[in-house]
Amino acid sequence: MTINFENKKQQNSEASVESSRRNFIVGSAAVAGIAIAPSVVLYQTAHADSLQNVSAKEGASSKVRWGMLVDTTKDVDWNKCVEACNKEQGLGNEEESRDDQRTQYIRVVDVKNKGTGYSMSLPVMCQHCEQPPCVDVCPTGASMKRPDGIVLVDRHRCIGCRYCMMACPYKARSFVHEVLHDQKEVTPRGKGCVESCNMCVGRIDKGQEPACVEASSGAIVFGDLNDPDSAISKLLKEHGGKQIRADLKLNPAIHYQGI
Amino acid sequence: MWLQRNFDFSLNSFFNKKIRKINLQKLPLTVAGLALVASFSSTVFANEVEQDELGPKITFPDFEGEKCILPEEEMRRQHPDLLKHDRIKTLREGVRAKADGSKLDGSLKQCINCHATKDDSGKYVRIDNEQHFCVSCHQYAAVSIDCFQCHRDIPEGSGDFHALSNHKNLDYKAVIPGTYSLTVKDMANITPEVHSDDN
Repeated sequence: MTINFENKKQQNSEASVESSRRNFIVGSAAVAGIAIAPSVVLYQTAHADSLQNVSAKEGASSKVRWGMLVDTTKDVDWNKCVEACNKEQGLGNEEESRDDQRTQYIRVVDVKNKGTGYSMSLPVMCQHCEQPPCVDVCPTGASMKRPDGIVLVDRHRCIGCRYCMMACPYKARSFVHEVLHDQKEVTPRGKGCVESCNMCVGRIDKGQEPACVEASSGAIVFGDLNDPDSAISKLLKEHGGKQIRADLKLNPAIHYQGI
Repeated sequence: MWLQRNFDFSLNSFFNKKIRKINLQKLPLTVAGLALVASFSSTVFANEVEQDELGPKITFPDFEGEKCILPEEEMRRQHPDLLKHDRIKTLREGVRAKADGSKLDGSLKQCINCHATKDDSGKYVRIDNEQHFCVSCHQYAAVSIDCFQCHRDIPEGSGDFHALSNHKNLDYKAVIPGTYSLTVKDMANITPEVHSDDN
């Protein structure tokens, strides 16, 4: 519930100047409707058939905020998502690193309630926080947030200090310990750099969904959290969702149901 | 001509000084110095070499009618700037195309896709081979730049790389003897050596 509240608050403040006059006429009940109007006009046509909200010429837009909603109640083998991720990003080609050193963009976390014996598993990737601690601590500006909310590592600037790994409360980042070969074109990665889930940024810029979403058989919904008409926003509005460690107030873009 | 005259003048004064100070012990040194001066002056007089002929001759693959974004002379100088400029745009800002919708100039992926060279057996050469397009010049110019520690050095889908695996069930000791590191499980199976120093 905190999520919806925060989103509304944000939208209100963005459009408060425009809406003030109409507020007076229509009354406070219509505030939310008016506040979201600009983004609807901009994105409704694009969102109808594809996810091509991003213009390749103009780059990532701050009007969009990409997010995911993971339904953990669905009976899905999350390892399929991990496999799809590894294939898309070319992960898993470390030969000499230990298991705990190898890069993971998605971790499958098993949780068990000792009292009731109820157990479940959920995929945990970079949560693409609105206030990312990894970006705060990065000494070189390599850890960065794109205007559309995707948190990335700019490997051109990364010096491998691993401060971001310490700062991340989700343990989302990995460090490459050895010389790599045969990287994928879409994800250049190499020794001495920190890396994490990039929400398949190359695919998003092409108007496609991230690889794990495609492999999840509907258990992960991807979309624009700023667009109230997107599938993810509607689901969140209707059924709600939880963020992991919401108490840290980082406002992650990854929401979960059933946790 | 001005340069030449000026140079001749300085050369003469150099000779005069040398001749005045000459002695038998330093004769070999003087001869070597003269040889050096002679070789230097010959390069000055032969300074008619075209800029294009400096550096190694690069073999270009067949572009099938497509042209590079700039002429070769300009690419030689400007390719680092093009790449650096556009990498900031692409990665940090998410810009994937020019204002007119065409491809960005600086794309290492595109460089590789066009310029990747093949060896005699028809396979793409990797970055550790001096026939690799980038290496063929960078080695001559003593440029050691680490683009390909992260970036892919040959076109994708060429089949010249091994299939991706997660190496989960791989016995590293058998694959690369001597270069593996011990896992926690390995450590658990190792019985500690008992030192019998106390005896």
